[in-house]
Amino acid sequence: MAELKLPELAEGVNEAVVSFWHFKEGDSIKEGDEIVEMATDKAAFNVPCKFSGVLKKIVAQEGDTVKVGEALAIVE
Amino acid sequence: MKTQNVSSGSRSKRFPYWLRQSVRDNEGFTRTRELISKLGLNTVCQAARCPNIHGCFSVKRCTFLILGKICTRSCRFCAVEKNRLELKAPDKEELLKIKEAVEKLGIENVVITSVTRDDLADKGASHFADCVDILKSIGKGLKIETLVPDFLGDKRSIKKVVSARPDVFSHNLETVPRLYGKVRPEADYNRSLEVLRYAKELDRDITTKSGIMAGLGEFREEIRSVMNDLRKADCDIITIGQYLKPDAGCLDAEEFLEPAEFDKFSEWAKEAGFKKYYCGPFVRSSYTEGIWQS
Repeated sequence: MAELKLPELAEGVNEAVVSFWHFKEGDSIKEGDEIVEMATDKAAFNVPCKFSGVLKKIVAQEGDTVKVGEALAIVE
Repeated sequence: MKTQNVSSGSRSKRFPYWLRQSVRDNEGFTRTRELISKLGLNTVCQAARCPNIHGCFSVKRCTFLILGKICTRSCRFCAVEKNRLELKAPDKEELLKIKEAVEKLGIENVVITSVTRDDLADKGASHFADCVDILKSIGKGLKIETLVPDFLGDKRSIKKVVSARPDVFSHNLETVPRLYGKVRPEADYNRSLEVLRYAKELDRDITTKSGIMAGLGEFREEIRSVMNDLRKADCDIITIGQYLKPDAGCLDAEEFLEPAEFDKFSEWAKEAGFKKYYCGPFVRSSYTEGIWQS
């Protein structure tokens, strides 16, 4: 089981808002798939998944604010 | 023309699909970032919170910010720090470290820009010239672009940089003349045009380049007349990108222009006679540092 954490999206940007999940719980994911779209004040960013597996749990829901390093999802 | 309005201040807003960047949290990105940080260098990529940082850093591409990281002006589109009390004297060491970074990263086209330093007698021009000299010692066909401030229009300063013979001499107009008061209150449109015109007059062989941001409330026709003004100043290259608000203290974007509108700008730029033009939502003035390869 692995936790997908929010990477730094741009310099000095410490948090971002989940705008859209491209996958739902139970979906199979390959490493590198863009799994979630995050929005900062400046732009939107597609975050790639760092692991292959099944999206076990979406931790941060659409609209939630997540800090860099916090969990977005759990992949098994 | 159809455009998308921007809801102001809301953190839950969604950006239109064409303003979505991909995160590349890979080895190249990490290596570039670590080297820059180890050398204590400043990049505009970081200072401006550029959304292209993943794409550029992951292929070991960056734009260095010289003369420190504190600016003497207070342009409303820019996130670079402003604090006159913390200004430092130009540091030759900074330039040697940039040389080291360029060599270690294997950069082939380097862009050097700076904060505006109206506090310095030569406005920082000799530091730019020294930087070009030092980087030229690398050889190996390294192409050097200097993206300079307006030097308050001081011709000696412009001459100093041009005499160092960078491959490209850039100065950004940033916006249309009507919006200068709102966007870059301490600058002057005609003074900026004159910087480009004079650089070309000094050296017919130097490539000159300028950039503007779209989405600050300008009319499309105003962009067209900026293009004509730039061509009258014999400017060779233009870049046009979407303005994106870098932090809460900066101006809101008035609109997000659709990609097709940037295509229209490209057509206009071609008609106006620019040798090269780069127009698109994520185009940044130094993002196109690979221009010599295209």
